[in-house]
Amino acid sequence: MKNSIKVERAKKNITQADLAILAKVSRQTINAMELGKYVPSTVLSLRLAQIFEVEVSQIFALEESDWD
Amino acid sequence: MKLNYLFPNKYKKVGWLILIPSVITLILEFEPNSLDFNVPAIFIDELFGDKHFFGIVKNNILNEILGALILLSSLLVAFSKEESEDEYISKIRLESLVWAVYFNYAVLLISFLFIFDFAFLWVMLFNMFTILLFFIIRFNWQIYKLKKFAHYEK
Repeated sequence: MKNSIKVERAKKNITQADLAILAKVSRQTINAMELGKYVPSTVLSLRLAQIFEVEVSQIFALEESDWD
Repeated sequence: MKLNYLFPNKYKKVGWLILIPSVITLILEFEPNSLDFNVPAIFIDELFGDKHFFGIVKNNILNEILGALILLSSLLVAFSKEESEDEYISKIRLESLVWAVYFNYAVLLISFLFIFDFAFLWVMLFNMFTILLFFIIRFNWQIYKLKKFAHYEK
């Protein structure tokens, strides 16, 4: 799954640490998501969408490999 | 969602403070006579006698105490929350637990096949604690790597 957390973060001009506090997760989790190492739960995805004030589908996108 | 069967973070430190001295005392292997007691037993298998259920045996209780302390404290160390226990940490926790179970039984399988007679008694003795031990090592190593190598980005 691709995500644009890094881009959205840049738009808001906040650091990984700031976003971690807002989303109530550790900074390592934000980092892992940005690197595509971790796919967040629905709850965390919705939190991120609310923080960035966008729809979930604007942050996350399916890839071909997600259908395997 | 909130249910996760974990202890609060502060118990991790308590666990370590009990676990380390207990393991050291167990390794030193001393049995002070003052701790010899007649204790109730559920199953008795005397060296040159009968097997029977329920009775009283004379026993040095130090290794019972240490065994119980090691068991309980390693549970605390293994299953206390991290300072920032979130869903990603939970995933690492689960993966480490599965890994520890596989690794433990791999070690046990090899021991089954290549360790015999009385020497196997040591295997059984260690195997009581190794599943938690392997989990603790693996999980803490993963968390350490995560904290160290998650490079900071503005």
